[in-house]
Amino acid sequence: MKFLLNTGRTIRQGSFVERKNSPAYRNEASSCRMNPIDMMELGIEEGATIRATAPAGSVVMRALPESGLRKGEIFVCLGPFANHLVSTETHGTGMPDFKTTRVEIEPTDERIAEIWELMESCGGSRYEG
Amino acid sequence: MKVEDVVCTFCGCLCDDLVVEVEGETVIGVENGCTLAQEKFMGDHRLGHPIQRKGKDWAPVSYDEAIETAAEVLLEADRPLLYGWSGTLGEAQSVGVHLAELLGAVIDNTSTVCHGPSIMAIQEVGHPGCTLGQVKNRADLLIYWGCNPIDAHPRHMSRYTTFADGFFLKDAFRDRKVIVVDIRETESSNIADEFIRIEPGGDYEVLSALRAIVRGKGSLIPASVAGVSREQLIRMAELCKAARFGAMFFGLGLTMSPGKQKNIRNAIELTEELNRHTKFTISPMRGHWNVYGSNEVFTWISGYPYAVDFARGIAFYNPGETTAVDILRRGECDACLVVASDPGAHFPRDCCAHLASIPTIQIDPHVNATTHLSHLQIPVAVTGIDAEGTAYRMDGVPIRTRSLFPSRYPTDTGILEKIYAIVAREKES
Repeated sequence: MKFLLNTGRTIRQGSFVERKNSPAYRNEASSCRMNPIDMMELGIEEGATIRATAPAGSVVMRALPESGLRKGEIFVCLGPFANHLVSTETHGTGMPDFKTTRVEIEPTDERIAEIWELMESCGGSRYEG
Repeated sequence: MKVEDVVCTFCGCLCDDLVVEVEGETVIGVENGCTLAQEKFMGDHRLGHPIQRKGKDWAPVSYDEAIETAAEVLLEADRPLLYGWSGTLGEAQSVGVHLAELLGAVIDNTSTVCHGPSIMAIQEVGHPGCTLGQVKNRADLLIYWGCNPIDAHPRHMSRYTTFADGFFLKDAFRDRKVIVVDIRETESSNIADEFIRIEPGGDYEVLSALRAIVRGKGSLIPASVAGVSREQLIRMAELCKAARFGAMFFGLGLTMSPGKQKNIRNAIELTEELNRHTKFTISPMRGHWNVYGSNEVFTWISGYPYAVDFARGIAFYNPGETTAVDILRRGECDACLVVASDPGAHFPRDCCAHLASIPTIQIDPHVNATTHLSHLQIPVAVTGIDAEGTAYRMDGVPIRTRSLFPSRYPTDTGILEKIYAIVAREKES
């Protein structure tokens, strides 16, 4: 199913922003909030893993219901999971389309990556400290 | 020991009424702070010493070695990018701009992925803004457009708007009306007197419709504009015109959505239109605690607020070309110094891939996503906890942050001054 990705601050993301290697930050950054009816149509339960794919990239997240979202819209807090989907195109403004990326979502059994794994997939190297 | 009037260095509100209890080098309690402040002051997750990556392995290095390496990398680069700056003090930002000039580098701050489009619009049509004190004491109508202050600026409503009594508003909660405009329901929209829910990407149309209604051309408006009924738009316009003092705050819902800087320009021009009827102001909800300061400091020195390119020997500014995301997208920079921000978490993936492919050096107190992309990280003191300096609140008011105890870490300013000194020496020789 196709969705429109919106990203932004959540208070939990802000709370853990100085602990980016922590499970708490990873859990929040990888939470994909969706309209409950969309989740029903996808055949997934709360907390199920989903793979989101956009022209810029693809990433596994977990689905959470949020009735404040319209059908066809998803919300992921700003962070490395959302940014695996956002293109670098800025249309001459310097600003990527952080709020209007079109993504395809499908259920998956794959696991959610750690933050350092996402960075390693970009060519980085894990620091464990 | 309890320290009073402590300034919180998390968001652009720069709340300056915290009471922080300190024991030695540990914060053991925070009063008056929001959840974000509690986590900021009580958290202790710092990187203990500089680290350098050799191949896939990390090793500790001394501060002197780290500073020498950073200077060498920057001197060897043809097109260095100095990025971040919004999470550090004005004094460090100043050294950063001078370092960029000396190197012929590009220097950009986090406005580039935040309120950069707002700045572009303000450069086109001006900024009818005011301080938060004016809003607190006078505003009887608040509009939050494309922002969710309860999550992103948790005390904005209690210090300056909805829940804050002011000089002319003795019972603020009843006397002030709050309108929230957003594409989704949020904690903030739940407490609004009027929630205007628009379709994604519909901001420009809704702003244009409101301008037409305020101009007396409401009859030209179709029955629905970007999902908002004509009746609701007329009701909103009437609320705005009836206010004695209106204040609009806008967030990234406007700057990141289609139209970007043109959305902001339209919102500013709506504000101008409303000033034919009453007093109305508009202000961006700045995110990082000193992102406004980075715009101020960059402008004093270079004439431009962000995305400043010194490669020509003079300051050059062209968002879309000299902005960090565009430079990384084109694979243009061959070294990057990241100061007090985390592009690894907040830039699109392909930008991160380029950062990983070049020598990236980070000056930051904490391990973050950029750490894994870097080749060198230098930890520093945290401004507002164990370092003091100047910051600018979201409304442009400068506030001196405090140090709560002597630090065992050097400051950003100290590290940058040492790098600058080496670069200056090498350039002279």
